[in-house]
Amino acid sequence: MQLTYLEAITDALRCALRDDERVFLLGEDIGVMGGAFKVTAGLFDEFGPDRVIDTPISEEAIVGGAVGAAIVGMRPVCEMQFADFVACGFDQLVNVAGKLHYRLGLAAPIVLRLPSGGGVAGGPYHSANPEAWFVHAPGLKVVAPSTAEDAKGLLLAAIADPNPVVFMEHKGLYRRVRGEVPEEPYETPFEARTVRDGDELVVITYGAMVHAALAAIEQLDGASIRLLDLRSLEPLDEEAILAAARDCSKVVIVDEANYSCAIGAQVSSLIAERAFEDLDGPIIRVATPDVPIPFAPELERAVLPSVERIRAACEELLAY
Amino acid sequence: MPTERTSAENRVEVLLPSLGISVVEGTIVRWRKQAGDAVVYEEPICDIATDKIESELPAPATGTLVEILVEEGETVDVGTALAIVETDQERADAIAAQQASVLDAAYGVHVQPGEEGAVSPVVARLAQDLGVDLATVKGTGAGGRVRKQDVIAAAEHDKLAARYEPPPPVALSHMRRSIGAHMKRSLDTAATVTSWIEVDFSAIERTRMEIGTTALPIVAKATLQTLAEFPDLNAWIDGERFTRHETVNLGVAVAIDGGLIVPVVRSAQELSVLELASAIRDLAQRARSGELAPDELADGTFTITNPGQFGTVMATPVISQPQVAILDIEAIVRRPVAVEDEIAIRPICILGLSWDHRALDGAIAARFLGALRARLEAWGGG
Amino acid sequence: MSTLDETEVAERGAPALEQADRIALFRFMALQRAVEERGLSLYKQGKVPGSFYDGRGQEATCVGATYALDAADTVCPLIRDMGAHLVRGTTPLAILAHYLGRAGGVGRGRDGNVHIGEASRGVVGMTSMLSDMLGVAVGMALAFKLRGERRCALAFFGDGATSVGDWHEAVNFAAVQDVPLVMVLENNGYAYSTPTSAQFKVDPLQRAAAYGIRGVAVDGNDVEAVFEATREARARALAGGGPTLIAAETMRMHGHGSHDDARYVPPELLEYWAARDPLDLQRRRLVELGVDVAAIEAAVTAEVAAAAQAAVAMGAPDPASATTGVYATGEPAVLGRGEAHWSGFCS
Repeated sequence: MQLTYLEAITDALRCALRDDERVFLLGEDIGVMGGAFKVTAGLFDEFGPDRVIDTPISEEAIVGGAVGAAIVGMRPVCEMQFADFVACGFDQLVNVAGKLHYRLGLAAPIVLRLPSGGGVAGGPYHSANPEAWFVHAPGLKVVAPSTAEDAKGLLLAAIADPNPVVFMEHKGLYRRVRGEVPEEPYETPFEARTVRDGDELVVITYGAMVHAALAAIEQLDGASIRLLDLRSLEPLDEEAILAAARDCSKVVIVDEANYSCAIGAQVSSLIAERAFEDLDGPIIRVATPDVPIPFAPELERAVLPSVERIRAACEELLAY
Repeated sequence: MPTERTSAENRVEVLLPSLGISVVEGTIVRWRKQAGDAVVYEEPICDIATDKIESELPAPATGTLVEILVEEGETVDVGTALAIVETDQERADAIAAQQASVLDAAYGVHVQPGEEGAVSPVVARLAQDLGVDLATVKGTGAGGRVRKQDVIAAAEHDKLAARYEPPPPVALSHMRRSIGAHMKRSLDTAATVTSWIEVDFSAIERTRMEIGTTALPIVAKATLQTLAEFPDLNAWIDGERFTRHETVNLGVAVAIDGGLIVPVVRSAQELSVLELASAIRDLAQRARSGELAPDELADGTFTITNPGQFGTVMATPVISQPQVAILDIEAIVRRPVAVEDEIAIRPICILGLSWDHRALDGAIAARFLGALRARLEAWGGG
Repeated sequence: MSTLDETEVAERGAPALEQADRIALFRFMALQRAVEERGLSLYKQGKVPGSFYDGRGQEATCVGATYALDAADTVCPLIRDMGAHLVRGTTPLAILAHYLGRAGGVGRGRDGNVHIGEASRGVVGMTSMLSDMLGVAVGMALAFKLRGERRCALAFFGDGATSVGDWHEAVNFAAVQDVPLVMVLENNGYAYSTPTSAQFKVDPLQRAAAYGIRGVAVDGNDVEAVFEATREARARALAGGGPTLIAAETMRMHGHGSHDDARYVPPELLEYWAARDPLDLQRRRLVELGVDVAAIEAAVTAEVAAAAQAAVAMGAPDPASATTGVYATGEPAVLGRGEAHWSGFCS
């Protein structure tokens, strides 16, 4: 069925609620209203207040509550209304959920859905891409789909995973991206995906930047450029990354997140460390500079990686 | 997201705004103004709905609504022009052009190539694997550096341009050199021309079956008889000296291991067909076993060669010096030929005569061949 | 909303306890004290890495409250509550080996001192962020309610923890969802060096009213009173009455940790509370009943001594195992069942 990225997430939640009685949802305004973005629309009516819980504005209570429910056998899926608000639940996520299995041998199978990303005039508190914090924290997994099909598959896989999984759903893709999504439930593995093949240069990225990169590559008709969609940030698909570096010898990495210590920095470091002998040029990163995301569209456009900046980086590296 | 766009100085496009994060389209629910109505800045001119909320759209300028571009009920993408408003007064263009990224200076790609001659490890390894000499590769990368693609291209080019390395030569045998020298000398000396004639070998085939020989001795006999009519063909030429012989010492070419030899039947015109057959057979046998005496190879005055057993139909035989002609008998092939006005299948053989233009002219060669044919076609009275 | 009038004071020596229970309550307190004294001694000998914390003087609160839990209930103890672990069935050997960071200790060397909890006995080990575990307890109780199970969650915290934002989010969420949760506030007068007068302006028991839940005050040094308050709050929760905040008044007799000499505590305060030692109170009760308390204490001493010896002899964790077990694989285990000693649970 043809679904938007948002509808695919709704569908995944519906499948999970329907097929597994351990699954329930917690979040602000997700029940009666169907969610700030309507991702959970219809689920309250279908499954009732015991499966779709409208919580107070209490990110720590949401995350901590999810951990508690998980360690007695539930599979909670919580939502932070905007990814930016995960900072309010950071302690429970990083210090309790992340460290629980290592310390106590107790698993916390929770999923945390974070509507992330900019390009929507959201300003400094509604545009964040905070995934690097959670890749850095031990014990958490982090995934970031770029297509409708992957949104459903990765969310169902996250719910099935016995570990805490942070699910980065890019709000700019909610209604902008649609695709063919299988009707039956399926789980997408936490691995990278080659969007298009090539051997002169590889662009490595994830989330909304996959679409920007594709547009940039298509403008470079005639160059053989591979596009690798990471999809899983923790665990990182090191095999796919190193194979791409080996085959193409030229690497451009795109982060919508802030430049310093973004996932792209980890990918770059991995390649420099393990594929140095295969490189025929420096690793180029295109990222948002270390600024809060500004509100005015002119300013926001100036900081987020654009199709033009990605294309220019590819052109320069191809010619190197 | 700008809500208007000024295309001409006083014409303003009213654009569908984004009414929420992630909203990409909206529907015109109701136009509150019609084309021709006056509008005031910020006065609502229509109602729009998205899947999240409904909202009014205020006029972006004071003036007249001159054109409605999207009808009620239509759904369009955010940013689509919905209507045109013509302003009364001049408006400054409030929509700034897209700013070039101020970040290019700080975050733009400024890739510095390394020093002259330095190559990356992958290029060095590739050059070694492909056997490419880096000193000969022209780099097309920044600053003239050698890129991976340059090494690959150089290897491809080398492959195409490489000289063919022949295997080591072997020395030719004495016989080969000797034959070669004779042939070369003949072609350099004589003005060699070849003429051909097709002959119906029906009579010859009949005869040879009757007498139990191959066609060769019969053709030899016919040739000897015809040579008596054309004595200029049974001669030697040596510079300006021309020797017409009265006897025919017939050379018959024999293929032997590694070459060719031409034993001679002395005074062949005195022999019958069967005697010729026997003499030729004997000479050939002794030729193959290497038992010929030198005088059996000397003094030939005319030569016949008969390589037709392999199916070839024509050749340009080389004259055996100092003779003036050589007759070549090729394969006998059953062909459809015209006999009177009917088609019949006959055994046809093409006889070729190479002759020396220093000694004679084409007309004599042709008449010789014609006469030989007539004799052969009438052989045995048939 | 509700006022102080609605708080209740639990009665002493409720008839729900049989003699065996009263002995058990004393024994667990004695065990906690003995284990913690032994641990402190090992720490002073340099055998315990890092820092050491105990709950001396607060044994009645954690033992009394945990004694009211059934096997399927779950508990989140905090710093002063080693007695809670002992009541659930964790052995002195496992605790002492944990202090020492041994491979066979509860934490297997991955966490130490009071960051301890046997998941197989329904105990969740604490984090250092003192109010985190209340949020987790709320989640457990929520799950019990959603599934219609007759189980409750018990959470411990001190006066200082009630200042953390987390604490308020958790209590509020528990209240609005009416979850089967019992919260024990161990008000021991100090959060490290900060007295309660600098910690909050309001008696924390009043916070129960602020969140719309029931608040109960209890003498934190009377193990039987604490038991009764918890038993009653648990029954109320299971009957759908929602969470209860039990404010137990007690005193931290040692410093925050063994590195803290607590010179900021007025000596008179310590003298006052020393006269109200929880073990002394229960010992007197048992002596009145003719129980051979000395024998119990001797047995406890011997048990802990043997455990200490065994713990010291245990092996250290393999360094190669330091990076294992970050992630779970396969179907995860859930919290298990702890021991339930109260005679009221026998059927």
